[in-house]
Amino acid sequence: MSDQRHKDDPLSQMLASLPREVPPERDLWQGIQAEITKTPIVTDAAPVVHFASTRWFQIAAGLLLVLATSFTTFVVTRQSMEKDAAMQMAQQQQQQQQQVPMAAPPLNAMPASFGPEALGADYMKARSDLNQRFQERVKTLPPSTRAKLERNLADLRHAADEISKTLSENPSDPLLQDLLMSTYQRELQLLADVSEMPLSNPVRTDL
Amino acid sequence: MQYGAGANDPVPVADPLLSDASLVTAARGGDMRAFERLYRTHSGKVMGLCLRMTRRRDVAEDCVQQTFIRAWRNLQAFEGRSAFGTWLHRIAVNEVLSHGRNHGTRSESNDDAIENALAEPGESSKEHDAGEVMDVERALATLPEGARHVVVLQAVYGYSHEECAEMLGIAVGTCKAQLHRGRRLLRERMGLEAEADDE
Repeated sequence: MSDQRHKDDPLSQMLASLPREVPPERDLWQGIQAEITKTPIVTDAAPVVHFASTRWFQIAAGLLLVLATSFTTFVVTRQSMEKDAAMQMAQQQQQQQQQVPMAAPPLNAMPASFGPEALGADYMKARSDLNQRFQERVKTLPPSTRAKLERNLADLRHAADEISKTLSENPSDPLLQDLLMSTYQRELQLLADVSEMPLSNPVRTDL
Repeated sequence: MQYGAGANDPVPVADPLLSDASLVTAARGGDMRAFERLYRTHSGKVMGLCLRMTRRRDVAEDCVQQTFIRAWRNLQAFEGRSAFGTWLHRIAVNEVLSHGRNHGTRSESNDDAIENALAEPGESSKEHDAGEVMDVERALATLPEGARHVVVLQAVYGYSHEECAEMLGIAVGTCKAQLHRGRRLLRERMGLEAEADDE
């Protein structure tokens, strides 16, 4: 039978008249969209090269951005910490000039060695004098107060030693530098407080 | 049997100037809205094809979904030599056949099976009462799978023997035989007079 005869017969006409479109009863697009959003379009050879090079460029750009951000954060943080430390140092110096015969050197004068002796002969002499007066004064205090003060002093010195050791491994770490200076200052403050404490005054033991 | 309009009527393309070709180009660049337009335009036709081939709405909808997902993944492979709708139909037919293979649907892709089916009415004849006159849609649904696929593709959707054979992965001769068989069964079930060639 020829195709023309098929086309002319009633069966063919009925079949051809059937609606070709039958809409889905539910919206299938949601499922399709959910699937294709996690599936990239398969590209042919040439675009793959382009895609790959674009991707490498994106990775490199991302890495550069991370490095730049890290560097900026580091610089800003360090400047801020140095500024805060300098202000704190200035305040401490003013207080210590009234109480002790010397002041700690500025932070940027931090030497290669990080023990208290590295802060200079004047500092060591003042510390030694204060320590001697502390020892004399502490003997006059009740045993419980004395034990507490000596323990606090020992804790501060132990902490300074630990920080100093760590700083020798990371000499450029501004946070450690600041922490070490702060610990030395707290030690001096404790020595000075106790040394110059009037006999009738209560003693701070929470330093 | 009548396949009526569903709740999800196809949304016409808002801008008629946006042809399939331009939408495909945009979709290739990752424009999902362009691809959605293509879905809205073609989903009804793909659904009609899948539904008549599978006879089950849930299976047909799965096939439609997979057809568009596969189309998205392979948009770069669409060369534009045929219409986008035809390309979609090829994918859809593949999906239907894959579903049939994966779910144990009877396959009649070889000539021996066809000859056997032609000699005996086959299991699909049990799906209707003898002497009942059916409308064409229902009669189509009762056809054996192989014959139904060919009749749907050729008689309803207008594909040639060669196109149909290529889509179904069968020989052109097989395609002609299936069409002949399908038409004869349809006439019987619809109470139409047999053509000379059907005898």
